[in-house]
Amino acid sequence: MSTPFIRFAGLRKHFVMGRETVRAIDSIDLTIDQHTFSAVVGPSGSGKSTLLYLLGGLDRPTAGSIEVGGQNLDQLDENDLARYRRRMVGFIFQSFNLIASMTALENVAFPMRFARRVRRERNQRALELLRLVGLANRAYHRPIELSGGQQQRVAIARALVNDPQLILADEPTGNLDTHSGAAIIQLLSDLHAQGRTVVMVTHDPRLSRFATNTIRLVDGRVVSEADYEQALAIDAARAAD
Amino acid sequence: MRVSDLIALILENLGRRKARVALTAVGVVIGTAAVVLLVSLGVGLQRSATQQLGGIGDLTRIDVYPVYGEPGGGGGIVVMEGPGGVPGIQQPINDQTLEQFAAMPGVTAVIARDWVNGGMMLNYGRLEGYGSIMGLGTDNAADLGVTAEAGTLTLSKGTAVIGAMVPQQFFDPRVRPGQEPPPPPDLLGQTLKATLIKYSTDGVEIRKMVQVRVVGVMAESRGEADWSIYMPLSDVTAYNEWFLGKRINRQKDGYANAVVKVGDVDQVLDVADQINELGFQASTPQSFVQGINSFFIVLQVVFGGVGAIALLVAAIGIANTMAMAILERTREIGLMKAVGATNRDVLSVFLGEAAGIGFIGGLGGVALGWSAGQIINVLALAYLAGQSAQSGAPPPTEAVFTPVWLPIFSLVFATLIGVISGLYPALRAATLVPVNALKYE
Ligand SMILES: Nc1ncnc2c1ncn2[C@@H]1O[C@H](COP(=O)(O)OP(=O)(O)OP(=O)(O)O)[C@@H](O)[C@H]1O
Ligand SMILES: [Mg+2]
Repeated sequence: MSTPFIRFAGLRKHFVMGRETVRAIDSIDLTIDQHTFSAVVGPSGSGKSTLLYLLGGLDRPTAGSIEVGGQNLDQLDENDLARYRRRMVGFIFQSFNLIASMTALENVAFPMRFARRVRRERNQRALELLRLVGLANRAYHRPIELSGGQQQRVAIARALVNDPQLILADEPTGNLDTHSGAAIIQLLSDLHAQGRTVVMVTHDPRLSRFATNTIRLVDGRVVSEADYEQALAIDAARAAD
Repeated sequence: MRVSDLIALILENLGRRKARVALTAVGVVIGTAAVVLLVSLGVGLQRSATQQLGGIGDLTRIDVYPVYGEPGGGGGIVVMEGPGGVPGIQQPINDQTLEQFAAMPGVTAVIARDWVNGGMMLNYGRLEGYGSIMGLGTDNAADLGVTAEAGTLTLSKGTAVIGAMVPQQFFDPRVRPGQEPPPPPDLLGQTLKATLIKYSTDGVEIRKMVQVRVVGVMAESRGEADWSIYMPLSDVTAYNEWFLGKRINRQKDGYANAVVKVGDVDQVLDVADQINELGFQASTPQSFVQGINSFFIVLQVVFGGVGAIALLVAAIGIANTMAMAILERTREIGLMKAVGATNRDVLSVFLGEAAGIGFIGGLGGVALGWSAGQIINVLALAYLAGQSAQSGAPPPTEAVFTPVWLPIFSLVFATLIGVISGLYPALRAATLVPVNALKYE
């Protein structure tokens, strides 16, 4: 059996808020293979985003370890972690996070500024990626002049710009209508098909069918499908009261 | 991150908040302009003061006099018989002393001098004149550092070298008020009649006539020499012996004064100190000039300080703007980090923006301060020229002077102010946890 691409071991992330401790991730042991498309699902507050941020090196765990491609993120200092984010990870956010003053092209090219690539090369690559997401004709538009779906496509192009192996998407369709959402999901499955590993957080059970595997979270733990259905039922019953 | 990319990003970031950058920079502009203008004013005042004081003359010259009063008594009023023959002096300036001076490092010439100790009237034709007549213990007046305007500076028995202003001292005693006075005579090569006048103990006037030939006229030096008539020391000694009615013992009585010339201006104060330590009074314009200079340095520091306070206020403005920018752009910082910017990249970008505001403000301030100085120059000089036309003094050529180092220094300083005030906000930005920055609303 091949070694897994991603391995979480005894992972915890606790937030101390005054006297209360929020266990956003409460002990997760999990592996994800390379070239998979994982959907992370779970009720609101179950720790999906937290898990994705930890995997993306945007935060550090309280305990436990994360290994990506044989590298333990714990052992990376701030600089190495920045390099990991730059080279290994492409992050896609629910709220796009485009820089308002920059054109689509500049937004896509932005990460390459920190990768010591020259401007010509940056613009060429950014244009190429905009073409890939079908927005070559919008290269010189600012985010405010683009629809939500177009903005998210720009964000996907930006995530791809340093050619990362790992694509992390936190509810990428959360702010989009069904039609635009479908286009985004299509793009992500294309990326998966090209050999990247994709981990996507979603609320929408319908999107899970694009995934090769589903990770179900409840209260910061990974649960089985049966337990998950039960938890959802309890939730729904509670909501009905 | 490449330096060129860093600079480009900083400029883009500054460019997209032009209004705020400009408003923040205004504070720096005012502060820097104040520094440039006030320090320029200080320097300008110093320069015109030094220019006006040009008359204090030769900075490489030390005038040495004997100390009068009790030895070690600190100049008491009691006049007593000193070790020398002249009452009241502590130590005579004699030939051994002159040799001691000459042996001091840096000393290039030592000239003993004496004045005519009695009445001496000079006549040239119908004209009558008085000058400060001095005997020089050298046969070349050039040793004093003066230059010849005409004739020679070499002295021999019965000759004199006169200062540029001496001819103007000659007047016609018979000219009645209202009558046009005669022009100053050209004395070069002329023989003056000198009359020595003394009174016997019973009040009878005794006169002695001598002839003095003017062999040289000194160039104007705006110093003592302009008003002086230099003659060989031996001639003056002879006159004084006639006045006193006895021989002068230079060994015991010493010379009235010695001029010590030093090769290098920087050594003048050292040599003067050594002479003072030997128990003589050494005076040099250098110490006076130094006093004036230190006054102006204090003035410039005070002026600069006022400007610096203005800059400090500007610094608070920059710090505030940067802190605001970082709050507003927290998500952007989160994004920068998410796409791979290191802490150092983020720090550099924000520090660079703060430095940029300081630099832009500094540039504006230097331009403003310099232009204001030029305007003041034009206005003040017009006013001062009018003033000096009335008083007859030479007009000052500048009121405000900006030395080359000042704009450079001010620019660097303003930029540094930017860096320092941006340091804390930039450090905060750099050390934000990416996920917290991204979630910030
Ligand atoms: N910075 C933080 N400080 C305190 N608590 C936090 C912080 N971030 C997350 N949490 C808490 O951790 C838990 C998990 O949050 P997380 O954002 O991972 O949930 P989620 O599964 O993504 O929910 P949603 O579907 O609503 O996005 C929540 O209870 C949340 O309140
Ligand atoms: Mg979430």
